[in-house]
Amino acid sequence: MTILKMDEVTKVYEGKVTHRAINQLSFEVNKGEFVAVMGPSGSGKTTLLNLISTIDSATSGTITIDGQRPEEMTKTELALFRRRQLGFVFQDFNLLQMLTVEENLVLPLTLDGIPIDEMKSRIKEFAKKLDLNQILEKRPNEISGGQSQRTAIGRALIHKPNFILADEPTGNLDSKASRDVLELLSKVNQDQRTTILMVTHDPIAASYCDRVIFIKDGEFFNEIYSDERRQTFFQRILNVLSLLGGNVNDLSTIRLP
Amino acid sequence: MTFRQFAYRNVIRNRRIYAAFFMASIFSVMVFFMYSMLLFHPKIEDEFLREFAASGMIVAEIILYIFTLFFLFYSMSAFLQARSKEFGLLLQIGMEKKQLNRLIFLESMLIGAVSIAIGIFFGYAFSKFFFMIVRELLQLDSLPLYVSYKPFALTIGAFFSLFIIIAMTSVVFIREQKIIELIRGYWKTDELQNYSTVKAYLGIGMLLFVYGAAAFTSKNVVLAFAIVLPPLAALGTYFFFTHSVLFLLHQIRKRKSLYWRPYRLIAVSEVAVKLRENARMYFIVTIVSTVAFLSVGTLTSLSSYTGQFRQLNPLSLIYTSEMTNPYESDHITTLRKELEEQGLSYTLVPFLIKQQTSSFSQNSVDILRESDVNSLAIALGSPLIELDTGEAMFIPYSEESVDSLTNREIQTVLEESNVPIQIRGVYPQMLFPSMIIGSNIIAVSDEDYQLIVEPFSGKRKQDSSYKFFAFHVAEWERTKSIGLDIESQVTDAIDDDGFTNLPFYFENPGLNYSVIRATFSLLLFTGLMVAAVLLLAAGSFVYFKLYTGLERDKRQFDLLKRMGLTDQELIKIVNRQLIPQFFLPWGIAMLHSAFSFLSLQVIWRNLAEVSILSEMILVLIGFTLIQVVYYFLIRWRYISHVRAS
Repeated sequence: MTILKMDEVTKVYEGKVTHRAINQLSFEVNKGEFVAVMGPSGSGKTTLLNLISTIDSATSGTITIDGQRPEEMTKTELALFRRRQLGFVFQDFNLLQMLTVEENLVLPLTLDGIPIDEMKSRIKEFAKKLDLNQILEKRPNEISGGQSQRTAIGRALIHKPNFILADEPTGNLDSKASRDVLELLSKVNQDQRTTILMVTHDPIAASYCDRVIFIKDGEFFNEIYSDERRQTFFQRILNVLSLLGGNVNDLSTIRLP
Repeated sequence: MTFRQFAYRNVIRNRRIYAAFFMASIFSVMVFFMYSMLLFHPKIEDEFLREFAASGMIVAEIILYIFTLFFLFYSMSAFLQARSKEFGLLLQIGMEKKQLNRLIFLESMLIGAVSIAIGIFFGYAFSKFFFMIVRELLQLDSLPLYVSYKPFALTIGAFFSLFIIIAMTSVVFIREQKIIELIRGYWKTDELQNYSTVKAYLGIGMLLFVYGAAAFTSKNVVLAFAIVLPPLAALGTYFFFTHSVLFLLHQIRKRKSLYWRPYRLIAVSEVAVKLRENARMYFIVTIVSTVAFLSVGTLTSLSSYTGQFRQLNPLSLIYTSEMTNPYESDHITTLRKELEEQGLSYTLVPFLIKQQTSSFSQNSVDILRESDVNSLAIALGSPLIELDTGEAMFIPYSEESVDSLTNREIQTVLEESNVPIQIRGVYPQMLFPSMIIGSNIIAVSDEDYQLIVEPFSGKRKQDSSYKFFAFHVAEWERTKSIGLDIESQVTDAIDDDGFTNLPFYFENPGLNYSVIRATFSLLLFTGLMVAAVLLLAAGSFVYFKLYTGLERDKRQFDLLKRMGLTDQELIKIVNRQLIPQFFLPWGIAMLHSAFSFLSLQVIWRNLAEVSILSEMILVLIGFTLIQVVYYFLIRWRYISHVRAS
């Protein structure tokens, strides 16, 4: 079953220099899939994510998310749609500094006016799953990067969305924390059959996914599916990346042991 | 690009951030300049007014100067803090600290020079208008615009020195920080609970105590309270903003059922951050607003005192004359002529007041004739009296004596002439201002009056009676130029000897009234202008703080919008964030002033029978309206900024 369908989507930024960020891009994401989008800098990854996040609209083509068409909805409907159906994870975590970890977690629920008891039981459930019990009362500036990203993932999951959008979730983390976060994401993906779309630079991160979509200059370039062993998948990702011919700096030099 | 150009471009391209305090400093330069224009005005003739106007202006100028210094210093350092990232970058690419200081100095001086120039320009442009108001208040014939270097020199000198002080001192904070700290920016969240519970309770307790004391003030303790309460209130306010507010917010945060609500979670935590960051500023804004409210309220109540002046001084011109006074007919002719020249219609009622000793009290008593009193009563439109032979009536010498004499009844004999009379009742209102004639005055019937022929014991015949000329002029406020010569003879005599040994005395309530009225309204006007500057500055503090935190707020709202915050919800959250920031200092200031007025009311009741309630309510409503308008203005700007992404 398809949860996301991109059909000939084009995004053009008008301005002094007209810039075609996405060009006739089409792909589908099935429910329960864990998909990575890779591409060199300037390939349109962030624009793509913004389009799917419904905070930006396509110049032409159609996007269908969970059977709904964002361009047909009003601003308020879109806000409610994002609030209930989507979860977001960011590279720099974007936790609200003035809220504690616990408060950051319940933020999406308070926006929707969920009863307090329900919030408390969700906190209990997710704090255990994400191993946040020790730091619930702490403020974001008192916890490590890995803890911050786990909190952010908790915030993206707590309202049980159908679709999680992650923008370079491991970009600001060390290798250990990165591995934790990726394992957590794939566990969430497997246990709850939550669909995850992740934009990343990092081939290791991508190797945790079921499928990797490569884009270049806003156009579809290639896609590969995972196989039994992550090591070989990782090598195949690297092969495509070298084919892509992006700037060498865009490629992570980290190799798995 | 030279170094100076760089400094210039920094200011010009950051103009939107500079706008608020640029405006406030222009405004204070403008007001300062207008006051100095008045201070040096060559044409304020009246000695007393000139002296008074000058000293009022000087006080206002000093307040303005100190406040502007303080305000600019605070804004400047907050602004530099907000730009710390930029300074960090400049230092990183190899700028010397000395150069950075010079950059900041140049920038401040640029802002200073421009705001002085614009302020003086507008000040001069509005001077004529300002003079027109002052002329109206002081009832002067003309107060023309003039050109002199003095007000310019004073304003330029004062504000240049001020901006130099600011420019030199505001760089201090940068000197102490490492480059990496500058680059990371000043935005650091401290832990939530950096308040002390004891001080939190202390703050609330002190405020409650002060309010209680102010509310139950009585005559006896009011002066002691006036000394003790203000510092206590200031300290209580300080603790309230730095500790109690955070404590209260923490109490809310502990109660999840209160706190975890759609808008509250973000708004309350945001307010907690903003209030903690700006606690000192809110404290200052509160105190400043309280002072502004209070001074304006007090001054308004002073002017309401002038409204009761007429009641206390029913006569328009008063001339008393001893029997031996050689100038009498001259003076009366002069007064009549001057009144006619001014085109004022008048009624003149001459009294011959006889003095006798009362057998009842053995004191002297001044005696008026019934028909004289009635002619004056007709002129004033007051009730007439009717006395039979042997009857007499008290004439009140003050407002209170009307009440105290109402039920007095005395049987007495005017000893020298042996006229028995019964004094009963009192004339229902004041006919003569107090102090002009004695406090023991009665009116007797025409028949009895004829019988009083013997001189007051121990005095010659011509010394035991005197004449009293009462002028009633309907347009009594216009008499201020009547009898100035006689008036100056009297004041000269009083100035020389402390009392008058002249055989006559003259008083012109119209003139006194115009002096009192002018004094009070000038004070009020000056106070209003200063209060306006203070309030504008207080408002721009808040605006300024919002502006420096805008980047961060914008990012926060972007995140929330991505997470599914609708536009309406955004506005609701902004409301809940801004209202406390705007109205908490205002509310506390309102409470402070309301309770201070309660005490002031007690003082006023003692001094003069004046109620200041209605003026006070008017003042508070006026300031509230201004604050509400300001709130909507700022909210509109803020929302349009955080929405634009």
